[in-house]
Amino acid sequence: MHLVVEMLRSSVLAATPVLLAGLGGTYTYYANVFNIAMEGMMLIGAFTAVAGSYLAGSWVVGMLAGMAGGLVAALVFAVFAVYLKTDEFVTGTAINMLGLGGTTYALRQMFRVKGAFMSPRIQAIPRIRIPLIGTLPGIGPVLSGHPFLVYVTLALAILIEWHIFRTRYGLRLRASGEDPRAVDSVGVSSDRIRAQAILISGALCGLAGVYLSLGYVTLFAENMSNGRGWIALAVIILTRGRPLGLLTMSLVFGFFDGLGLSLQSTKIPPQFTQMVPYIATIAALYLYSREKRQAPSAPTGPTGSSEQAGQ
Amino acid sequence: MSKNALTALAGIGVALLAGLVILWAQGYPAVPSYAALFSYSLFSKFAIVSTLNKATPLILTGLSAAVGFGSNCVNLGQPGQFLIGAMAVAAFGIVCDLPAPVMIPLAIMVALAAGALWAGIAAGLRRRFNMDEFITTLMLNFIADYFTLYLISGPMWDRATYSPMTKATNPGSWLPMWDGLSAAFVVSCVAFVVTWVIWDRSKLGYEWRVMGQNSVFSRVGGCNNEANFTRAMLLSGALAGLAGGMMVMGGMQHRFVKGMGANYAWDGVMIAIVAANGMVPTGLYALFFAAIQTGAMGMELETAVPSEFALVLQAIIVLFVVASRESTRLLINRLAANLRARAAAGAEQDISKGGGRDASGR
Repeated sequence: MHLVVEMLRSSVLAATPVLLAGLGGTYTYYANVFNIAMEGMMLIGAFTAVAGSYLAGSWVVGMLAGMAGGLVAALVFAVFAVYLKTDEFVTGTAINMLGLGGTTYALRQMFRVKGAFMSPRIQAIPRIRIPLIGTLPGIGPVLSGHPFLVYVTLALAILIEWHIFRTRYGLRLRASGEDPRAVDSVGVSSDRIRAQAILISGALCGLAGVYLSLGYVTLFAENMSNGRGWIALAVIILTRGRPLGLLTMSLVFGFFDGLGLSLQSTKIPPQFTQMVPYIATIAALYLYSREKRQAPSAPTGPTGSSEQAGQ
Repeated sequence: MSKNALTALAGIGVALLAGLVILWAQGYPAVPSYAALFSYSLFSKFAIVSTLNKATPLILTGLSAAVGFGSNCVNLGQPGQFLIGAMAVAAFGIVCDLPAPVMIPLAIMVALAAGALWAGIAAGLRRRFNMDEFITTLMLNFIADYFTLYLISGPMWDRATYSPMTKATNPGSWLPMWDGLSAAFVVSCVAFVVTWVIWDRSKLGYEWRVMGQNSVFSRVGGCNNEANFTRAMLLSGALAGLAGGMMVMGGMQHRFVKGMGANYAWDGVMIAIVAANGMVPTGLYALFFAAIQTGAMGMELETAVPSEFALVLQAIIVLFVVASRESTRLLINRLAANLRARAAAGAEQDISKGGGRDASGR
């Protein structure tokens, strides 16, 4: 029983960054922007969060700096992809490289270290116990006592589901993805909405980075996002961008990530247990493709899913 | 062609200026840093040889990405294919011991085959199950990374060393060096010529390029898109695998060392992007990026700018070159449209004058 609780707890912890980045990516998914830059925005956020927390000695500053880092990366993305009309795939890849190279460079330039930077002066995000949740039977021990960003993320999933499907802004967002000319013709700039979607995704990916470097662990390591931004992209495709579906899929992913960690106490070499989340992603894509083939008329892509959403 | 070269040069110029501003803003001596960057990469025999050696893997990973993207196969698996190619060559070189004239061609084949195999997994998943290759190749990168890490820290670990690496390969697979220039550079040049011939001068390459521009058109035109997709993926993977193999066969170590992939594969992706998937531009940008990376070492020596600045500079160059290319095209299109509109308006006016009707009625 104790082991099960431990595994579920680590699932929640591992799911959070993927979910946060995925929620950001939902906006760009509906705006029909191919956002491959989430990995880089997350990494930049993780770095600026550690830098902010270290320099100011406060996790609040760290968190704001992390979101700002993601936002700046998204701003570059938006300026190039939306206003200068460069290819999204190209721009996104360049942002990822800028994230990888820029953080490695800044790590040496600012902190004079290679590989990883840790210091007792980096203040982590506090863990909190929400009074009622801990006493709930069954799920209480699983959900209680995490870094507070975990709860923010869960709340955001519900809030964003509402924002995208139940508000005027959400309707405009989905419309800009589906038919930008129609949006332009009623006097709303689809370019502006797409730029906003990229900025929102940048802030949320930055927050995912904050969680990685100030919540999950308290340090910055080169390339510490380790493919989570790409897994988030896969999860968005798998759930056709539904925030609540994203929540479920991220937990499944988190479970496999946590499974890898728990298997480390066994005889299996650690390198194989670390592969588990990536293999799980491929397996999930396989199941998704099988389901899609059985229903060949099922709608795909942002156009189809927003039709479903409109029901 | 010259228009493209001009916009590319403008983009590079702006990017280098942006890099200068970054250095200056951080309090480094900006101009001496740039002087060191280029004098250590271009202006001596040793510098040029170092740059050419550095360019060897970049040319190959760049070609790999260009073949993939140009035929609309989003192969982002170069890092994994690179590692698997390197590992296969290392294993082959440890197990087999043959004279060099036999062993070197065999080792090259092994590298090509291993890279193609790893890309083939993603190609097969795409063809049989319609799974997006860009995600599967990305995931396969991590699997290859952990798998090779397992091999070098477990079964294939050379116990005489402290850090994870394999034993050295048998000398038969070592590529010769001439005055510091590794024969690996010659291999990559041969690969470049072969790929260029396939891409720009063969029917197969033509079909791939058409598929990359418009897959519906190529299908209607009678090409077998599915088979072409697999072929392009396999060639793309083989080139990335060869890049890995060259790192084991050339150089000094002659073994698979932890972290040997460095950033070569992603550099190749950036090179292909900035070269717009053309083969000749890919080769030129590979040399240019190699010069930046080689020069960055010298820059660190002279003005203490961390050599990782090369990574930042490369990403900025990609952004600015691509942006200048796209926005000039946009600008030219707009100008052309304006001219055409004016010409059309003029013609309309002529007609209306001829007809004696009032042309100002709009």
